[in-house]
Amino acid sequence: MKRLQVVLAVALTLGGVNGAFAHSDTETTTPANGATVAAVEEIELRFDDPMRVTQLILTGPDGEIELERETGLEPVTVMRAVPIIDLASGDFLVEWRGLSSDGHPMQGGFEFSVAD
Amino acid sequence: MEGLAPIETWAILAILAKAAGYIAALLAMGGVVFVALFRDVPADVIRLARRIAALAAVVGLLILAARFGIRAARLSGMGLEGAVDPLMLGLIWDSPLGAAAVWRAGGEALILTVLFARGFWLIPALIGAIMVAYSFTLVGHSLGEPRMLLGSLLAVHVVMVAFWVGALGPLHRAARTQSGAALLHRFGMLASIGIPVLIVAGGIFAWLMIGSFTGLFGTAYGWAMLGKIVVVAGLLALAAANKLKLVPALARGDAGAARRLRTSIRLECAAVVGIALLTATMTSVTVPPANL
Repeated sequence: MKRLQVVLAVALTLGGVNGAFAHSDTETTTPANGATVAAVEEIELRFDDPMRVTQLILTGPDGEIELERETGLEPVTVMRAVPIIDLASGDFLVEWRGLSSDGHPMQGGFEFSVAD
Repeated sequence: MEGLAPIETWAILAILAKAAGYIAALLAMGGVVFVALFRDVPADVIRLARRIAALAAVVGLLILAARFGIRAARLSGMGLEGAVDPLMLGLIWDSPLGAAAVWRAGGEALILTVLFARGFWLIPALIGAIMVAYSFTLVGHSLGEPRMLLGSLLAVHVVMVAFWVGALGPLHRAARTQSGAALLHRFGMLASIGIPVLIVAGGIFAWLMIGSFTGLFGTAYGWAMLGKIVVVAGLLALAAANKLKLVPALARGDAGAARRLRTSIRLECAAVVGIALLTATMTSVTVPPANL
């Protein structure tokens, strides 16, 4: 299974896959994917259709950073969460999982950097 | 490639479970349809059809339960621990999969009656088959618009596929002897009506999902669809060869005809497994161009 995963991961990378937002082409995030920002007030994900976000993880240079979610597990088109600490300089990764309105399990992620 | 979601271990398990669930549902539905349509057939063939349908219904119920756990594991991101998380399972129960599961499970439970039902008493099993077909329309890409049309096309497609898939086991048994040629011929006559209906319903559904040649060649959904079309074309070629060459050869009593026909039916079974895997992949990790 591991080998299959590796093969798939390589194939997807070579194919230039951005699976993060496979379900919709109008989803946006704050900060934007790949952006460099001075500070982060909140993490925001916008979905075309209501999504139950079941997992939202922010990882920084020193590991996972706790997020305070604005909403729970109800379906939302805008998901906001605030890091409980100020983000220091470095690269950050946001990963999410959710259940779309048509019943599909979805997942994705985006990266951003904080620089003084 | 556009419209392809990340694939991880649990997503692969989800695809395998979904494909197995498709095959179980098709065998269960198709077995009932076979028993209802073909009354005057050898006892061992009809007995096999009943047993396959009932076994498939039981396996289908088990797979349905497993799919809830796999989906909970994917959603939670917690792996095995998440598979039994009551909160995640509750969310899935409230999602379209929950409604589909009720109809699927109810239908497969009713299909179990095919084991002993005769004549009029086959009606509960037939209702079960319809419920299973309906369950397919309650989840996934058929929930888009125009929903009524998409749901109807999918239901017709699924019933016709079930008629074909559910007949393969009994036909394989019947092909052992020259006397089975009459049943195979009758199936071929009905299939020559059912298979075009299957293709037209599936083709319209696919076109509504894809909508353009760009969508067909430029997206993961389109490529998966092309793969499915290639395997289906191979399956149709096998079916045509059976109907036009091997079944008449069996009827004539040609030496080796039974062996060649049974090999061909086994190849059809392998193609069905391939199509189920491709369809499960398509409906799990790709997005129809119409939704992009």
